[in-house]
Amino acid sequence: MSAWSYYISTLAVYFGIDVLSGISLNLQYGYAGVVNLAFIIFQSVGAYVAAATALGPDTGAGAFQHYIFAASLPFPIPLVLATLAGGALAGVVGLFSLRRMRRDYQGAIMLIVSLIALQVVTADVSLFNGSNGLTGVPKPLSFLPVGPLSYQWAYAGWVFVFCVAVYLLVRWLSRSPWGRALKAMRDQEEAASAIGLNITVLRLQVFVVGGLIAGLSGGLLVEYIGAWSPGAWGYAETFVIFTAIFVGGLGNYRGVVLGVLLVPVVFLQVTQFLPQIGYPGLMDSLEWVVIGLLFMLCLLVRPRGILPERKPVATEANAFPFATPGLLPYLRRRLGRPVA
Amino acid sequence: MFDTLASAVAFGVVLASVIAIAAMGFTIQFGLTNVLNLSYGGIMTIGGFAAYLVTSHGLSAWYGLAVGAVAGAIVTLVVGRGIFAVYARRGARVFEMMMVTLGLGLVIDYGLQALSRNNIYEFTVLQSTPISLGPIILTPTQVIIIGIGLALFVGLEALLRLTKIGKALRAMAADPALARACGIRTRQIVVLTWLLSGALCGLAGVVYIINSQSVGYTTGELFLPLVIAAAILGGAGSPAGAVLASLLMGIVTQVVAAYGGSLYSTAAGFGVLVIVLLSRPSAVLTKQANEELTLA
Repeated sequence: MSAWSYYISTLAVYFGIDVLSGISLNLQYGYAGVVNLAFIIFQSVGAYVAAATALGPDTGAGAFQHYIFAASLPFPIPLVLATLAGGALAGVVGLFSLRRMRRDYQGAIMLIVSLIALQVVTADVSLFNGSNGLTGVPKPLSFLPVGPLSYQWAYAGWVFVFCVAVYLLVRWLSRSPWGRALKAMRDQEEAASAIGLNITVLRLQVFVVGGLIAGLSGGLLVEYIGAWSPGAWGYAETFVIFTAIFVGGLGNYRGVVLGVLLVPVVFLQVTQFLPQIGYPGLMDSLEWVVIGLLFMLCLLVRPRGILPERKPVATEANAFPFATPGLLPYLRRRLGRPVA
Repeated sequence: MFDTLASAVAFGVVLASVIAIAAMGFTIQFGLTNVLNLSYGGIMTIGGFAAYLVTSHGLSAWYGLAVGAVAGAIVTLVVGRGIFAVYARRGARVFEMMMVTLGLGLVIDYGLQALSRNNIYEFTVLQSTPISLGPIILTPTQVIIIGIGLALFVGLEALLRLTKIGKALRAMAADPALARACGIRTRQIVVLTWLLSGALCGLAGVVYIINSQSVGYTTGELFLPLVIAAAILGGAGSPAGAVLASLLMGIVTQVVAAYGGSLYSTAAGFGVLVIVLLSRPSAVLTKQANEELTLA
């Protein structure tokens, strides 16, 4: 029984972290049309920074791994630094790669940035211990007087707190004038530019906000699993989250949650229960093959996802401040009752 | 000092030949169909594995080259007509198409991982005495690689400049609708483009593994950034531009490797990409009119 509880709490943590990733990508691509195929490097820099600033100095007796930013900061600070690192890296990458260009160019350049970052971090051992990565990251909530199983659930709860907070923040952002500007930029870039929106600044802003969320998700992830290495952040990991938000439905948050539930959680976990065939590792390879096929199939049969974005409709009831006679129907509609 | 530089440049030219073969195929494909094909690296690896299978049965590397080219051409034609064209008919634009090619790249890469049992296979061709030219020492294989690159470049330029088919290819890359109106059989030209670029892609895969002497499922994926950067830097649809850009990137990468340590030779490729973005914004600027795919 406790094995199941342990398993399900682990899934809950991964689900929460993938929801954060999905929110980040959905804000960038679903709302603003900015293609971030380098998503995983922002999550990854968050993970590395959270790990290195919690692990303590990398010199002296017993030091077996080398990394920069070595420090042993108390509990919430590594997570804050991870978030900031994600945002900062996004700012730097965004500054030179977010020029006005075709979206496919943009995507390809992000993908190349992601591949090259992976090669550099793998090759240069002095950065984050090369291909072996960092291990032994201390558990952040260890001050809680609970057993291992309760710790699992406590951590899942901790991740969900962030999910809800980030969701509320991003929902507020995307309903704000800034969010409407993002959609305008996505749908009609030239028209948006013509009414005075600064496209370059908007793109950079949404890129940094997404980078902050990505850094946070990386920090939360590494503090849970306790280790991070280049094996954890191939370009395919970004593709899984992209598949999730495409399957769920772009441009709305119900779609993100559904997609993350279907693709990384249910889909990738069900395969753990299938009988192993062939040599060890074959199933892992085939999993990625099927993810690729799933994405291609989704784009063919349901290109707007299972829960498509609702297009805004300018009805009398929606246009509250400008149509005072519609106030009562507007309120009723907002409160979910049928309009008389 | 000078000797190190000279041999680094020579190795750079060898690497550039490999990049150039791939980049020429990529740039023709991209320039004509407008599909930014991220599965190109995976198809290179298919060519490499095809050559590995042939040579491991005792045939010479020359047969490997031929088989790699044929494998690349066939696979590219099949995915071009069987997959990309379907999405184009469904109304996919350049971005959706790029995501489809990325998904396909994942399928190819990890399919090859499954088939190759996640191993790296040694690929050796018969080595003979190195040729020394002053301070530069190259193996005959490396000289042959440069020769293959040069021959393919000259052949491709001749095809594009001197034949009617080449004229049709260039016309379609410039303006597909006008080309069709002029009576060019666009469907056949697209098929030819898939075959030609696919053959170059497969050849590049084989030449790459001859140079690096091993083949694994990530071979093409790791090489793809250099190829795409060369194609963008050289200008889409221009083999001559792709060759010049490949020379620049190959030499920069190898000189950095000789002086600054091999760790950062890939970062130098990254530097070249940044220079591309900052120095040639016209190469990547939005052209609204040019977001249509040409697949039939």
